[in-house]
Formats: sequence, C-alpha cells, structure tokens
Amino acid sequence: MLKSKTFVKKTRSGGVMKIVREHYLRDDIWCGSEACTECKHESTVLQKDACIESNLCSYPHYLVPDTNVVLHQIDILEDPVIRNVIILQTVLQEVRHRSAPIYKRLKDIIHEKEKHVYTFTNEHHKETFIEREPGESANDRNDRAIRVAAKWYSQHLKASEAEADGLKVVLLTNDQGNKQKAEESGLLVYKCEEYIKSLIANPELVDRLALSNDEKNEITSSKVLFPEHLPLSRIQAGIKSGTFLQGTLRASRDNYLEATVFVQREQDDGTEVLIQGLQNLNRAVHQDVVAVQLLPRNQWVAPSSVVLQDEGPAKDDGVEDEDEENVLKTSAAESARKLTGKVVGIIKRNWRPFCGMLNVSHIKESTRHLFTPADRRIPRIRIETRQASSLVGQRIMVAIDGWPKDSRYPNGHFVRSLGGAGEKDTEQEVLLLEHDVPHQAFSQAVLSFLPKMPWSITPEDMVKREDLRSLTVCSVDPPGCTDIDDALHCRELENGNLEVGVHIADVSHFIRSGNALDKEAANRGTTVYLCGKRIDMVPELLSSNLCSLRSNVDRLAFSCIWEMNHKAEILKTRFTKSVINSKASLTYAEAQMRIDDTNNNDDITVSLRGLNKLAKILKRQRIAKGALTLSSLEVRFHMDSETHDPIDLQTKELMETNSMVEEFMLLANISVAQKIHDEFPECALLRKHPAPPPSNYDILLKAAKSKDVEIHTDSAKALADSLDVAKVDGFPYFNTLLRILATRCMMQAVYFCSGMDSDFHHYGLASPIYTHFTSPIRRYADIIVHRLLAVAIGADSTYADLTDKHKQSALCNNLNYRHKMSQYAQRASVAFHTQLFFKSRGVLNEEGFVLFVRKNAIIVLIPKFGLEGTVFFDSKDKAAPNIAFDEEGPTLKVEHHTFHIFDKVKVTISLDDSNIQHQKIRMALTEPVIAGVSVAIPDAEPQAKKPKLDR
Amino acid sequence: MATVQVSEAEKVYILHGIRDDLRVDGRGCEDYRHMEIETDMVSNTDGSAKVTLGHTAVLVGVKAEIGKPRPMLPNEGYLEFFVDCSANATPEFEGRGGEELGTELSNTLYKVFNNKHSLDLKSLCISRGEHCWVLYVDVLLLQCDGNLYDAISIAIKAALFNTKIPKVHISADEEGRKEIELSDDPYDCMRINVENVPCVVTLCKVGHRHVVDATLQEKACSVASLIISVTHKGTVTCTRKVGGGSLDPESIFEMTEAGKRVGKALHAPLMALLQQEEAQGKRRQKVGFLS
Repeated sequence: MLKSKTFVKKTRSGGVMKIVREHYLRDDIWCGSEACTECKHESTVLQKDACIESNLCSYPHYLVPDTNVVLHQIDILEDPVIRNVIILQTVLQEVRHRSAPIYKRLKDIIHEKEKHVYTFTNEHHKETFIEREPGESANDRNDRAIRVAAKWYSQHLKASEAEADGLKVVLLTNDQGNKQKAEESGLLVYKCEEYIKSLIANPELVDRLALSNDEKNEITSSKVLFPEHLPLSRIQAGIKSGTFLQGTLRASRDNYLEATVFVQREQDDGTEVLIQGLQNLNRAVHQDVVAVQLLPRNQWVAPSSVVLQDEGPAKDDGVEDEDEENVLKTSAAESARKLTGKVVGIIKRNWRPFCGMLNVSHIKESTRHLFTPADRRIPRIRIETRQASSLVGQRIMVAIDGWPKDSRYPNGHFVRSLGGAGEKDTEQEVLLLEHDVPHQAFSQAVLSFLPKMPWSITPEDMVKREDLRSLTVCSVDPPGCTDIDDALHCRELENGNLEVGVHIADVSHFIRSGNALDKEAANRGTTVYLCGKRIDMVPELLSSNLCSLRSNVDRLAFSCIWEMNHKAEILKTRFTKSVINSKASLTYAEAQMRIDDTNNNDDITVSLRGLNKLAKILKRQRIAKGALTLSSLEVRFHMDSETHDPIDLQTKELMETNSMVEEFMLLANISVAQKIHDEFPECALLRKHPAPPPSNYDILLKAAKSKDVEIHTDSAKALADSLDVAKVDGFPYFNTLLRILATRCMMQAVYFCSGMDSDFHHYGLASPIYTHFTSPIRRYADIIVHRLLAVAIGADSTYADLTDKHKQSALCNNLNYRHKMSQYAQRASVAFHTQLFFKSRGVLNEEGFVLFVRKNAIIVLIPKFGLEGTVFFDSKDKAAPNIAFDEEGPTLKVEHHTFHIFDKVKVTISLDDSNIQHQKIRMALTEPVIAGVSVAIPDAEPQAKKPKLDR
Repeated sequence: MATVQVSEAEKVYILHGIRDDLRVDGRGCEDYRHMEIETDMVSNTDGSAKVTLGHTAVLVGVKAEIGKPRPMLPNEGYLEFFVDCSANATPEFEGRGGEELGTELSNTLYKVFNNKHSLDLKSLCISRGEHCWVLYVDVLLLQCDGNLYDAISIAIKAALFNTKIPKVHISADEEGRKEIELSDDPYDCMRINVENVPCVVTLCKVGHRHVVDATLQEKACSVASLIISVTHKGTVTCTRKVGGGSLDPESIFEMTEAGKRVGKALHAPLMALLQQEEAQGKRRQKVGFLS
C-alpha cells in the first residue's frame, strides 16, 4: 500500500520547498517473537520465556522503551540483565536524530545476539503506521505511534497465543502524559525507575539508574559557566561590520588563563588581542579560529608575568575559578595595558587528537577522568573510560568531542595508547605527533618514483651536464653526516684570479614535479633532526646515497661557480648542472687540522686554504655591512652506542671551518637569489628576515642598562657594533649573554614568494635579497629554488605551478609552518634528552646566570649545559616569601636580595619526575643564600661521579 | 487551436438547430456540457485541480514559492501562468505546435486573474518589499474538445481554492536582518480567498445567436467569439474578442448580458462542490487519472 509523506522544508537559499516522499506500508513485517504462531518469520529474536524477576510484572514480558528512556538510560539498556526489548523504528529514528553516540550504542545493543533486542519497523507496518493529525506536534505523533505499536503487539500476542502464561508487552516511559494516555488505552506502562526498582534479583541496576539520573540533574542544575557562543551568521555579520575581529587563538604556555588572538586586518599588519580569564576565553582552545569582541578600554589589562599552571588535581567544574583568576588581577600601569577582548564565537575548531596522560579520578569505579595533554596550551579534557587503571602511566591520545557551556573542561574520548610514559620511543612519538611532524614510513606510491638500483649516470645525463669530475672538490660537514648536500672547490686560474665553486646535490633531478614523491617532500617540507634520530624529507636512498655528495663517487650536482680576485670580489658568476666527484668528505675538525698543518700541501688542503682565506674576507665584508653575529647555545649529546642514552653533554664548538662553509653557502644563496629574482620577478621563492619592531628590544636595552652598557638598535649595523663593544670587566660571559638576549628579540625568518611581497630584506645577514639553495636534501624550499634556477639557465623545463605565485605562496606557508614545527620538535627532543641525562646524574650544583626576571620567578641559564630553567619563588606548599617585582629594571626583590638580569647565581639541578607527564628540570637556588628560599648545597660532589663508574 | 472540418450541410444543420435553441447534443444555447471537478490531484503541488468538460480535460497545479515582490507593488505577491499544450491533447500540439496557443492562453489568464480585484494579492506578501509568495500556476491541457478558456478558469479557481501555503513568520535578529521561519506542523497553512476569483465564459456567435460552451463543430461554424470573465456577483472583469469575424455592438451587448447570466449561475454550484469535497478531507476516495 502506498502512502505519501509530505513535509515542507526550508532550502538553503531561503526558499520553502514542499517535499513529498512515497511511503510504502507492508503486511509482511513480523513481530519477531518465538511464541508467535501467526507470523511467518524465519528466525525469531524475542524469547518465549522472557522472564525477569520483577515484583511489578510477574509474567513474561517484552519491554518497549520510548525515545527518552533510550536516550537517558542507555546504560541500563546496555546491561546484560535487560533482555527481550522491542525497539520501535520510531524510537530508533528519533534517537538517531537526537544523539549520534547513543544511536551507535543502541545499534550495538541491537546487534548483540544475547540481548534479544528486536527492531520493529512499525512505521512501515500496515497496522501501526499513523499519520500526523492536524494540531498534533511531531513529538506527540511519535508518542502516539509508539503507543499504537505497543497496543498492536499486546493484541497480536494475545491473539496468537495458546499458552496460558500470557506474554505481555510493557511500555517504559518517563513522560507523565504519555503514560496516562497509554493507561487509558489499556496498555501496561511503567516509569523506567519504577520498573528497574522492581527487579528484585538485580539491585545493582538501581545504582546505575540513580547515577545517570544524578547526571541529568547535574546538567540541568549546575550553573552555566560560559557564555553562549554566537551563531556563525551573527559572527560573520559582526566581522563584516567590524564589531568582531577574527583571528587564531594562541594560548599562553606559561599561563593557562591567558591567550592572544592574532588578528590579520587589511589596513595594517595585524594586531594582537589579549584574552584573559576563563570566561573571556570562553571554551576556545589553542589554534582555534575565533571571533573576538574588544572590551571597553577601561577593562583592558596587561599580560601578567605570572607563571600559572592548571594544577588542582581533583578540582572540578569551577568552584575555585574565582580564586584562580584573582591571581591575574593586578593593577597594571596604564601604558602596559594591551588591547583586550573576549571570545564571542568559534569560527573553526582546530581540534586534533592530543597526546598526554590520564589523571585517574580519586573516586574508585568512576569512569570519568581528567586527561592532561602534553601541550600546556591545551586545557585538560574530561574523558569517560572504563580502562583507567590500565592507562595509568601511559601516554595516550585523546580527541576532544565538545565543550558544553556548563562544563569546566571539554569532553573527549580515548583514541589510542602510545606506550609507557618516559620511555624513549614513546616520548619521541609524542613529540613528533605534538609538533605535527609527518613521520610515517614513505608509502609505496612515493617509493615507486625512486630511481631503480643500480643507478648510474647515463650518457644522456653527461651530454647535458658539465663534467667537473677532474676538479678537486671536497665536502666539509659535521661528524656522522650522511646527507651531504654541499661540496666546495677553489683553484687558481691562469689569469691569477681564483675560481670558487659551490656544488649542491642535484635533488631536483630525482624529484620531478607533481609526482607522489614530490608531493610528499613538499608536505614534509624539511628533514627533522632529533637527538639520535633523523626524520627524512626524502627517502633514504636519495638522502644518504644518490643525492649525497660522498667522496670518490660520481654524483650529479648543481654548481655555482664564481671567478673572484684575491680581495674576494666577484668578477663572474655562472650556474651549471654538472657531474662532480668529491675527493674527500671531511669533518669540520679534519678540515681545520689540514688547514693548520703547514706540512700538508696536497690539492685538497691547498683548496681548503684558499677557501678559508676568501671566507675570512667575505665575513669581514659582511660584518662591515651590519650582519649580526648572534648567539644561542647549542648542545650536543654523546650517546651511548648501545642504549642510545645520552652519556655526556657539551655545548657545540664553532671552528673556523664552520664559518668557512657557512660563508660560501651564504654567498651561493645570495647569488642564486639575485639570479632567480631577475629571471622571475613575480614568482621567485625567497627568504626574508624582517627587522624586529623597536619594542622587541626593550628587554635587551633594560638588561644592558643595568650593567651600564649602551646598546643601539637603530639599525642592524648599530646593533652589531654596540654588541661588539659591550664588555664588562671581570664578566667575560657577559657578551655572550647579551647576544643570547639579542637573539630572543629577533623575528622569525620566513620564506615568501617575491610576487606577493615588497620587502625582501634579510635583517640578520644584512643582505637585500636571500634564498635557500644549498640544502635541497633536507629542505623543500631549496628544491623549488633549484627548479627555478634550472629554468633560468635553460637546463630544465618549467611547469604551471612553479610560476603560479598564489600556489607558491601557499607552499611557502606550509614550509614556514613545517620549519617552525621542526625547530620546536628539535628543542623538545633536546629537552627530553637533557632530562634523561640529569636522571642519571642525581642532583647537580652549577653556576648560572639570570636571563630573565619574572614576577614570581627567575629564569636561569647554565652555560655549561646550555640549559635554561626556572627558579620559582612561590610554591603552593609553603608560605611565599616577600616578593617585589619592579617592571622597570626588571628586578625582583625576594626578601632582602634583589635579582637583576645577568646576576650570577648558583643552583641545584635535578630532575623533577613527580609529574611523569611533564618531567622537568627543577632548579633551586643555593647562592645567594636567602633564608627560607634557597636550599642547601648537596653534600656529595656528584659531578665527580662518572656514569661509567656507576655501573 | 484544434479544429475539425465541417461540411456545408452539417453547418446548416447546426445553425438551424441553434436558431431554435436546440443544439446537436441536445443542449440549450446557455447550457454547459457535463463537467467533472476533482481537487488535490497532484501531491507535490500546493494546490491542484482537474476539470473535464465534455471531452476537454485540463489539469492545473499551483506551486507557491518565495520570491521578491515587484518593485511597483512592494506589498503584493503575484501569480505566474504557464500553459503547457501537451501533444497528448491533440496531435497538432506536437513539437512547437502548441506554443502559440499556450502563450495566448497564458496572456489572457494574466489579465483575468493577476489583479487585486480577483485575488487578495496583499495576503501573499510576507515582508514588504522583500519577500512575497509567488504562485506558479501551471496549466496542462490533457485533451482538447473546445471551450478551453472556461475549463481552464474553472480549474484555476478550484486549484486556488485547494492551495495550502505553508505558514511562515519573519523573525528579525539584532542586526535587523530577517529570517524566514517555517512552522513544523504541516497542517499549519494559509488558504487563499477565492470568493472574487472570476470564471471565464466564452460565447460563440453562431448565425444570429450565440452559444455557451461550444463544441469543436459549433466552433467551426462560428465567426467570432467573446471571452467574458465574470465574478460571482455578475461583475464583468474582462472581455476579449477572439476569432476572425466581426461583431456588431448590439450583439456584443447581448452576449455580455448572456455571459453575465451564465457566469453568475456557474459560481454558486462550483463553490458548493469545492466546499463539499474539502469537508470530506482524508476520507475522500480519490478518483485520480485512471477512472
């Protein structure tokens, strides 16, 4: 029988559409009961003796729950005790409509054979289908449909039954009106609670019922913690009219109650809006794209310099929020106040699965636990899990599902476990995941584009390339380097000038544009170097073999060859694709030794000396132009060859040869940048380093002033010069510290497309134009530059995407992002290995310098380990000492001692693994001695202990 | 227009019959043929009706859509007509054969129905100058056996009577932008007042007399006909002469008077019938197209 269902619907364009669907009614839908003799079903689901011990229903019966019972009491329905349930199609459809997770659970129940749950398609049954009546709401109609179906069942069972014991149907509903109507029509109907309580044999069910009921009350009664988010249409209108600003939220690492939103506006470069407090953050999570409304000027605040971590372990649903936020409320100077706003809506969530650990709830048997992400900028997430005990001590991944406005924390669910916390593999996985570093093995599709082995240079290649195999080319790299992408040569020409060549691995020969290999490399963007591990951008065959310019094998190269005079002035520059044969792969130290060894006069050494001489001149010229020599401490771990645990740690040393290689790489990059920009003014991929805004230097100027040193920041040159003369007697390390501080003031250098920007200047190198050309094995930008250069010299053909400045701009964005993330991952890896190192060392006592002064802490740099740590002066468990912070200095007065930047202090260093999730290096003050603040110097001199002796 | 060939002898026979107020099929000059009306025929329209008059059959569907009011009439909705001369009706309509007739018919329908005296167009306005209901009246000729205008007009009146427009209300948000909201009850709908909707009466001048509801044979004997739209009060809202012959003023006057009389008499039973059908609601057995 055909019926039609008619309804009207609003279309997306705002119109109204009448939709008519055909609806077929059938007479061959069976009841699914074993007891039924009338229906011609092949197999039955519902049992004949559907007995459950109940003091309300002493007869065998089937349960028919209504929609709300399913939605709210799904836990009960899931219990194995509850069997022989009829789920009506009406109920199923409504549940599906209202809650996807519950629908899924319901489907699971239905599929479980043991549960004997039958779905009755009442909407298609000839006798149970009903049409909506005039004046009846959709809900009323569904309730009626459920009653009609229940009624049909009870009559059907009565009619078909011969036995006396009388199977019955019991309708479960919590709706008073529905219950009354059902009783009027002669149905057996109970409230869910009534029924469950009547199950004498299974009292434990009542607990679960009560629990879920409480839950419901909690949701309705608990106060709303956050303001409602605005709908997208309002947000868009607001952004258009200028009342709201759109930007990406960046939570503060140090303070979970603070975040900034970077707003990109058309008129200016962009502004930062400060968001402070849970209410104003309004459930926005780090990296979400949000709409922000500015607060009135009198409510603007200054970013607090307090370091604040969300710590209360059992704290739930914002009772103590007021206290927490009081910490922030300090009257800041008018000038320090910044643009402050509040989040009014979320435009795009940027949730991904987060790594972290579970804080197991103190209440036993509780299935709801808090999860603390490894990234401090992500709030803690409440998840529901029954396997909490097995997840303790594991690194797990959790995805956020949503953040209701009455909940202090977002809700999420468990995704997978990564392994035990603190284990090296797990931690490495965590930091790769957290920094979004693609680190899966290369797919088969990618590998299929690799050259077939054995590979050799073909005659066709030779025809197109210049044969430079006869030149004395050598490479200089750090020890253990297998991806050698640059090699050098220098020789005297007959006219007395010098010929200098920089030969770069010709990666673009192997990676052709547009194939899977190219796409993968473009996505990875860069090779990531972690301590003891390298995440390659291109498969190993290329990175460590075919592209690597190893000694004594023929390799394809892209060469940049200059003719220079002895004053290192470039007379001629040319670029060519070539074939080279490196004569030696040296380390920096080896090269240095050759240069220094006056007895050694072989070709390689002579070539190196020539290079070194020119490099020194080049460097001098560069510095004269105002290039900055900045400092940051880099550490190197000596790894145990078997366990790969760090056994020693030293800061990296720089040798003359380091700077020699660097000079020629810079020169090559600049030459190439000019060439590709001349050839492709609209689509050259360049790298720029913007000059920092003057305000960035505030901290440097203040710090220098405290030591009576004048720093000029008007130009890069002025800065470089004033840094050179900045010296304090009896404080040799001062200059390095100052340079470290200056580094922190700098902006991030970025890739960009020349057609999309007008400012090309590289501030740090004092070069008007710059790009990356010299490391195509580990940077994708260089591959693009190689392709551009190859087209420019007619050595290769172009393709559409190469000259599309919008596509290139998009590529630059990805490269900049990957580059930044790889740096963070590198730092995180160093930090983790530092922790491993200190774990085996116990407590150390070291000398350090104050690098920054914060409101409640000082940040100390230990030059010996290149390690930075924070010494807190307030802690939760003991009374805080008298602290006075002076922003002008900045100085911090603790009791009677005042800390300035650059103060020499002594601290103990130990590994704090009380929080296994965030193991951190803990520093405590030993000198100067401040009563109640500093700690005693540990007795033993642990440095004397060599780890080897420990075993 | 569908035509038949009539011989001279037949013509004389018809003419003489009409002179004596006795037509070939036994009707008087002002009588209609047997008429059948059924509404709510097409479920995916908002209102529909099928009318058969003799062998003439037309189906009318009304679809209501939200549109923008005409700039000159910002607080009124409007109607759009489209007449589809299906080749099923007569082989002459095959290809583009029915196009000219279709345009002619729809032009007349605009004149007759799309004005505020026939329909309360203001009730179709949702928000002034921004949204209004546009009623798309689609006429499908299923079979042609003369007197298309009358059959179409009756079908349109019936279909408009049957039309149920979903109720909408406008809610404005804080920025003053308007949002159309739909009621979720399918029974919550607006009806159109068809009291003043006229019916068309076509009078054919045959010999010295004129006939109502001419068959194709009678039409072949006629020189010219007059289309008159008449409301239930007997008001003439539109007249139009069609056909090649000429009419003298006196006979135009006579024909108008006759048209008024016939038209006025047509409305009352039509409305009674429609209301009776409506009252049956869902219990009504639908006849459909297969009867």
